[in-house]
Amino acid sequence: MTSDDTLGRRRFLELSGTAAAVAGLAGCSGSGGGGGGSTQEFPVTIVQGNMPSGLDPHDHRETPTDVVMLHAYEGVLTRTADGSITEALATGYERVDGENTVRFQLREDVTFHNGDALAPEDVAYSINRIVREGVGFASPQSDQLAGVTGAEVADDGSVVVENDGLNPIVFSEFATYCDVMQQSWVEERSKAEIGQEMNGTGPFQLSSYTEDEEVVFTPYEDYWDDTAAVTELTFRAASEAGTRVNQLLQGEADVVVNVPPQEVQRVNDSDTARIASAPSTRVIYNAMRYDVEPFSSQAFRQAMNYAVDLDSIVENVLGGFGSATGQPTLDGFVGHNPDVDPYAYDPGQAEQLVEESGHAGVEIELNTPVGRYLKDLEIAQAVAGFIDELPNVSASVRQRDFGSLVDELLTGNIEDKPPWYLIGWGEATFDGGLVMTALLTSDGQLTSWSNEEFDALLSQAAEESGDTREATLREANALAHDQAPWIFLNRQFSVYGVSERVAWEARSDERIDAYAMSPQ
Amino acid sequence: MSLARFLVKRALQGVLVVWGVVTVVFALRFVSPGDPANVLLPPDVDPAVRRQVVAELGLNDPLHVQYFDFVTGVPMGDLGFSLVTRTPVTARVVAKIPATLELAVAATVVAVVIAVPLGVVSATRRHDPADYGATLFSLLGISTPNFWLGVMLIIILAVQLDLFPTSQRPIGLDGVVGLLLAGRVAGAADGLLTWLWHVTLPAITLGTYFTALITRLTRSGMLDELGKTYVRAARAKGLPETLTRYRHALRNTLIPVITVVGLQLGTLIGGAVITEAVFAWPGLGTLIIDSINARDWPVLQGSLIVVAVAFVLVNIVVDTLYAYVNPQVAFD
Repeated sequence: MTSDDTLGRRRFLELSGTAAAVAGLAGCSGSGGGGGGSTQEFPVTIVQGNMPSGLDPHDHRETPTDVVMLHAYEGVLTRTADGSITEALATGYERVDGENTVRFQLREDVTFHNGDALAPEDVAYSINRIVREGVGFASPQSDQLAGVTGAEVADDGSVVVENDGLNPIVFSEFATYCDVMQQSWVEERSKAEIGQEMNGTGPFQLSSYTEDEEVVFTPYEDYWDDTAAVTELTFRAASEAGTRVNQLLQGEADVVVNVPPQEVQRVNDSDTARIASAPSTRVIYNAMRYDVEPFSSQAFRQAMNYAVDLDSIVENVLGGFGSATGQPTLDGFVGHNPDVDPYAYDPGQAEQLVEESGHAGVEIELNTPVGRYLKDLEIAQAVAGFIDELPNVSASVRQRDFGSLVDELLTGNIEDKPPWYLIGWGEATFDGGLVMTALLTSDGQLTSWSNEEFDALLSQAAEESGDTREATLREANALAHDQAPWIFLNRQFSVYGVSERVAWEARSDERIDAYAMSPQ
Repeated sequence: MSLARFLVKRALQGVLVVWGVVTVVFALRFVSPGDPANVLLPPDVDPAVRRQVVAELGLNDPLHVQYFDFVTGVPMGDLGFSLVTRTPVTARVVAKIPATLELAVAATVVAVVIAVPLGVVSATRRHDPADYGATLFSLLGISTPNFWLGVMLIIILAVQLDLFPTSQRPIGLDGVVGLLLAGRVAGAADGLLTWLWHVTLPAITLGTYFTALITRLTRSGMLDELGKTYVRAARAKGLPETLTRYRHALRNTLIPVITVVGLQLGTLIGGAVITEAVFAWPGLGTLIIDSINARDWPVLQGSLIVVAVAFVLVNIVVDTLYAYVNPQVAFD
């Protein structure tokens, strides 16, 4: 089966036209950037798929919770909309003492929502609360600050962070993780209270929290930067995508997440809302186990890449909301190799490579989760359809419950994994080294491949920093492209529905930042 | 059998049923695929962190220990802690009961208000266009899936015509009653309107199948009664037709209808899952769907147990009332 069976040509043209229009719209809808304390009423409601699992910024691992947190809590560093690192609570950051230690100089005029001034001790405490088990509790985020062993306040009032080695990604980690909490506020409260109340330094302060129903924020008037333009910020959840779109069209929501491609037309046709999309940090791929036939053959793995018309999948299945990849690291990430292109669609070459591999006539089965990623099942069906069209391979799809598939992927043994599966991986630190280490090195947590040359490149990168490291990672990406441990698929796009009354641009890191919103 | 003995017997049966449900619900967790820790934590989490989370959640204890803790917790109202929010399950589930209950009651009211008159008209004007209309309505009502109906109502009445909201429950009936009790009658009127505005579409969605069912039941029951000797005797004695129909025949028809209404209330509480998901209604159904998505087993188990207990309680009450109202049914 090809994806054209499910989507007519006319419909495809309509959709791709829409996607282009959408891209244009997203590009020109200017960003707000904290409207400077306007008195105009400007309430905004954001509807995600899930409510936050609690309000403790160090006790969760989900994006929907993160999105709520970032309005009240801040870290020392943060990222701009295009993903580059910038200062937040820190005014300066540098490596010191033979590069095992880094130092953050803190902003001076910062207060917590309870009125107390931010002290360097609070920053050090927050870092230690995550990485040291003895401080407070065992945070599930400890590995997000990988390599960080603890923090202390220096004599000059700066915060010094110790690492267990060079730690080339330390600033990248702090730009994405580690919200700063007030030490005394945390210590005076029980775990349950910390999960129900908030006291950060961010542009919004908690107004009310009803578990499973809504979180309401108001602007924090004494914020160290401009006061937010949004006068009341509400978070709600609806697990059904159709429900979210209806809420948007009815005006009950101003920003909704994950609009499915088939609903895009309905949103764009309305007078009240538009689609905003951005490439996310998530790569979707088909892993092939290097240790089982026929995938043990490099020629066969390359054949699978040549057999799939990736551009057609992006246009027809994803409605243009995706981009083709040809290496494990996405464009814009540290280590992405701009000289490596996606595999071209060449069924003739694919057929010939299958013959060369000696596996002609083989039957293979693609394991895929359903409903976890944007159009995951449809992508899998299209991939298997293209491969099945080869005269010398037959391919089929096996739908899997995400939980049980992940159980097999996470045992730590390559032997437990299905020989061929679809999965996605998001990496909010924009670091290709982290992606490749976890997914493709011999002892990576999710690996299905083992290659000495590749392992050597990644260990070399862990000892390097700056341009040298980037060059090594590029080399690793080129090697992965040629060795083809995956069928390289698409970069997933985040697709939002946004009310016409709100000016806001979608971001790559899936952050919905209400501070950047203004009336339009 | 006396009423007291009957109640004790039914209560014991109810306890057995609930115990059965608790056991099945507990067992389901172990035959279902998916380790909660793998769903709670992203794939990139350090294996050491994963092990530590598993240990913290008590997922490593032997099966019989987990079962014993679970079963003995239920009568004490202890349903464990949510894996996702780490808050007590009982509090989360109990907080959702009013929303679901009021949706079920509203759906029942919609059904009874529409269905009984429709059934009566249908029975008294047999083979008239009115009868055919009512029969067609009930056929459509029974065969329309309620998620589809809900989506259609939202798209047409809420999104296009802008008459109703698509979701939310800004004030519950408990909130309205609270306002009334606090003596804020004016506020209560506003609250009641807001409540009605929000509950109408979900109640129609959930109640349509039920309306169709009651219409058919009323129609056939009424036809049955109208053909009985006492009705003919009443007519022969010259009793006015309205009196015969509504005072005598309808009264007798309503006895089985009340039973079904009672029993269906239990079904509605459990069956509100899809309707709640479509309308993002913050009740047990939404909680069940969310906890399935998050593999939050304790919350899912707690919700299912609460639904089962509600069902058992409603059954006992209905049976008791039925036996009390209709002396022909002995307490046995």
